[in-house]
Amino acid sequence: MQPDSSALTGQRRLTGLRARIFSPTALQKLLAFASLILLLVFFSFASPAFMQMDNILGILQATAVNGVLAIASTFVIITGGIDLSVGTLMTFTAVICGVFLTYWHLPMWLGVLAAIGTGAICGTISGTLTAKMKIPPFIATLGMMLLLKGLSLVVSADKPIYLTDTENFYMISQDSLIGYLVPSLPIPNAVLILFFLAIMSSVTLNRTALGRYTFALGSNEEAVRLSGVNVDRWKIAIYGLGGAICGIAGLLIASRLNSAQPALGQGYELEAIAAVVIGGTSLSGGSGTILGTIIGAFIMSVLTNGLRIMSVAQEWQIVVTGLIIILAVYADILRRRKS
Amino acid sequence: MLNRKLFGVVIGVGALVGGANLAHADEVYIPLISKGFQHQFWQAVKAGAEQGAKEHKVRITFEGPETEAMVDKQIDMLSAALAKKPQALGIAALDSKAAIPLLRRAQAAKIPVIAFDSGVDSDIPLTTCSTDNLAAAALAADKMAEAIGNAGEVGVIVHDQTSRTGIDRRDGFLNEMKSKHPNVKIVSVQYGGGDHLKSAEIAKAMIQANPNLKGIFGANEGSAEGAAIGVKESGKKLVLIGYDSGKEQKDDINSGLMAGAITQNPIGIGKCVVDSAVKALKGEKLPKKVDTGFYWYDKSNMNDPKIAAVLYD
Amino acid sequence: MTPLISVKKLSKSFPGVRALHDVQFDLVEGEVHALMGENGAGKSTLMKVLAGVYTRDSGEILLGGQPVQLQSPRDAQAAGIGIIHQELQLMNHLTVAQNIFIGREPRGRLGLFLDEDKLNAQAREILSRMHVNIDPRAMVGNLTVASQQMVEIAKALSFDSRVLIMDEPTSALNDAEIAELFRIIRELKQRGVGVVYISHKMDELKQIADRVTVLRDGEYVATVAAADTSVEAIIGMMVGRTLSDVAPAGRAASQGEIALEVRNLHAGPLVRDVSFTLRKGEILGFAGLMGAGRTEVARAVFGADPVESGEIFVKGAKASIRTPSDAVAHGIGYLSEDRKRFGLATGMDVESNIVMSNLRNFLSLNFFLRRARMRRRASHFINLLAIRTPSAAQQVRLLSGGNQQKIVIAKWLERDCDVLFFDEPTRGIDVGAKSEIYKLLRSLADEGKAIVMISSELPEILRMSDRVVVMCEGRITGELPAEQATQERIMHLATQRQTLKAA
Repeated sequence: MQPDSSALTGQRRLTGLRARIFSPTALQKLLAFASLILLLVFFSFASPAFMQMDNILGILQATAVNGVLAIASTFVIITGGIDLSVGTLMTFTAVICGVFLTYWHLPMWLGVLAAIGTGAICGTISGTLTAKMKIPPFIATLGMMLLLKGLSLVVSADKPIYLTDTENFYMISQDSLIGYLVPSLPIPNAVLILFFLAIMSSVTLNRTALGRYTFALGSNEEAVRLSGVNVDRWKIAIYGLGGAICGIAGLLIASRLNSAQPALGQGYELEAIAAVVIGGTSLSGGSGTILGTIIGAFIMSVLTNGLRIMSVAQEWQIVVTGLIIILAVYADILRRRKS
Repeated sequence: MLNRKLFGVVIGVGALVGGANLAHADEVYIPLISKGFQHQFWQAVKAGAEQGAKEHKVRITFEGPETEAMVDKQIDMLSAALAKKPQALGIAALDSKAAIPLLRRAQAAKIPVIAFDSGVDSDIPLTTCSTDNLAAAALAADKMAEAIGNAGEVGVIVHDQTSRTGIDRRDGFLNEMKSKHPNVKIVSVQYGGGDHLKSAEIAKAMIQANPNLKGIFGANEGSAEGAAIGVKESGKKLVLIGYDSGKEQKDDINSGLMAGAITQNPIGIGKCVVDSAVKALKGEKLPKKVDTGFYWYDKSNMNDPKIAAVLYD
Repeated sequence: MTPLISVKKLSKSFPGVRALHDVQFDLVEGEVHALMGENGAGKSTLMKVLAGVYTRDSGEILLGGQPVQLQSPRDAQAAGIGIIHQELQLMNHLTVAQNIFIGREPRGRLGLFLDEDKLNAQAREILSRMHVNIDPRAMVGNLTVASQQMVEIAKALSFDSRVLIMDEPTSALNDAEIAELFRIIRELKQRGVGVVYISHKMDELKQIADRVTVLRDGEYVATVAAADTSVEAIIGMMVGRTLSDVAPAGRAASQGEIALEVRNLHAGPLVRDVSFTLRKGEILGFAGLMGAGRTEVARAVFGADPVESGEIFVKGAKASIRTPSDAVAHGIGYLSEDRKRFGLATGMDVESNIVMSNLRNFLSLNFFLRRARMRRRASHFINLLAIRTPSAAQQVRLLSGGNQQKIVIAKWLERDCDVLFFDEPTRGIDVGAKSEIYKLLRSLADEGKAIVMISSELPEILRMSDRVVVMCEGRITGELPAEQATQERIMHLATQRQTLKAA
């Protein structure tokens, strides 16, 4: 006797396209995107200076670094962990790059490799602390954050390392490849790098084993372990990847300021986490999207810029940003409760 | 629907604020990008700028990043300020080189740029409103020498050795001592980052290492206040001379713990920026530098209206 | 014929507990071998050792005649042993297909990218072989528990194991689904796969098992042919032990007034139409298998879980209990089975834990803690209950299980409850401390308190209870006065499921 099939699926039957549009994750992404559009529309009306090419470019440039840090954080947060060291790691990789290029006069590509490599190594250390030594990610990365901050100051002797000796370094962030091809769109390379990185990260998350395990670990780490997967190795790899991405952020900020500023960085991790959270990734792990993170990063920078353009007092800008974060997380909690 | 309600509110509020802002469209608008906005010093600069704005009937905004390390945030602010197509622009650059590309754009758009507090490494600013830190520190040296009887050992605690203000105040003090008061020996120069605690520890260490120490000069508010804490804890009697003001320093001077301090004129700086901007817009030529002034103050003259006006809490 | 698996003299201990001692077991090709025993008999532990989740302390495991070391789940998988765990081990955020093939995802281009289409196709194949209509792209978190269990089964089947261990695989399935599962198992038998089947459900055994092995208290009892052995005989093997302590004779049947009456209580799937009365001075034992609903009944009465319908009367008056504080206000206390999680603030000291339920009594001006008073009460209980602790300031987590339990009891005594629910009061407590707790319970009852004692240890139930209520799958299947309560009768009532026809 055949069992009743619909009883076995035990799931609300939504078919085809409607199912894909109204699935919870799609709704969240839609919500975030709609919010972004609304903000853009709102600020355009509030001030004529907002929707100008110069300002839009300014917004894009301002989002680049935070966006990259947020992408790095997304991986770790999906596993159910957290990385508080992303800000100071970014600075440290910039400092190391400065050491390579300015102190040791090495060619630019070595400096680039050094930054990304340093990021990967430090990320791997954070991962090892968490996976092998079982130190909770919050503590492990908090310790790393301070360690790296101190090291940045030590290595640089408390002074900014100027990168002006390396002639083309500024081009990483400030020059515009797109501008060469389409002169009316001088979008800075930093933004190009951000989007390129976003696409690669999204592909990695959705189409590779590393991405699959990122979600699996966040969903039920014990189940993954019992399925015979080497949980420790993959966790370390994920933190390492996050670190390498921080290295890219280090290159972007060093290239933008044409210097490695060693005192900078602490506090940037909170902005990155805010972007991730606003974008719909849950801090408890198991779900999340890169697209959401990018939208979250843009929501924050559009908000800040728009309020600045409207000449809202700086104190109130900070208040508004805090409110938006709380509302975004609360909206996410409501959405989860419904589904 | 939570988000729908939220955005209804946001749009409502925004319409009000936006509407209010649109009303200002024809006024002269001068954004000031400062090194910070939380510290009282910058709040005093802001107050001075607002005074100037009221006087000349122009509109200003005043903003700065949360910490003086956030160079990139300041650039973002500068970028947004330029997007608003201001009539003039004031900037206290955290990193003189980083700001140059945007300032060049301002220059190209014929927006007069006024630098304040820290200069910019270029000729784009039409003038720089700042304190002549060399001369100010020299005055501190003179007062120190006078207080210790023109001879003896003295220590210096500076906030850093990389910023213009740090370098100038240290050199100003040292050079004045060397040239005008040869019997006063500088036995130690240390850097405390302007951090109270660190400066306090440095002061105590200095006193330990130099038992005949007669005086300590703190080259900014944090260094001076920290030094005062350190001297109090060590129990030794010294001549303490500070820089800037702040409630703690003022109290210390009143109580006699500190001999006195050099104050800048932050309100004057703010006003100078607006005044210079207005002048530039009128087509007047501006001097390369405007010395906004500094004063020595101690218990005797702290309450003089002229001095009290430039002191902040 | 060499057996697929042969286990000899296997032992495994955990801190304070000897889970398995010199156990033997074997499995031949194409057989379904049921593993039976009471709660804590060691069934799950034995299977987890075979699945590489635990490593054995001593003994041998032979696979097809060859000795093997199974150090990790991976080793077991490689050896061809698959397991379906009792607690679902699924990743709710991933799809069905992703769950089934986690760790073995088919790769596409460059061996770097995952081939999602192939993954779904493979999953679809397995699911259709099981005649189960679940979309492989569905998120596991959105499925019903029954479907999730099907996914677990599919995952185990996807390994093409030679040995398949199923630990309570039908706990969430309905009859139709169980029939489907049995069909799959018969198919596996035909293919020569050996299936170890752990279940409490006697009727299932009769349908599917070839042989039955019984474990008791971590030791091997016997292996019998399922067809030839009656349910009663199997139950007898599961529980048969001489009672080392004699049940106290001639306990006066309590004639105390009714302290608590529960009528027609419905609260979730494990509390269906539950009614019972509890008198002052009596100890009412609640027996049954794990998952029978006893804890759920206690929690519902205590206000910890929402109640759908039913009435609760305290001392004859109807009581509306929606939260634990309501329950406490009516004088009802509940000592949960997981005392570390729910009974104690393990990081705090003895004193703080004791006064915790009644802190209001220890405040001056409703605000400040009256430390001296707290200390006095704590001392009072330390003496009264003979709690062995260096001082009232000792951190609770450093004390032994028995003393921790006494502290929980002290807390509720401090709160002066008249009705007390004890859920597994002597779990994880050594023999010496156990008898102290028993004495304590008895004296509390003698003082006039009304006590419900939930326990999975039959000797304990028989020793302490004035009456025994037995539950099975959310319903009360029987009530026995002390004189009529025997382990066999209780076990029979505890396994008396709704669908059971006379075996």
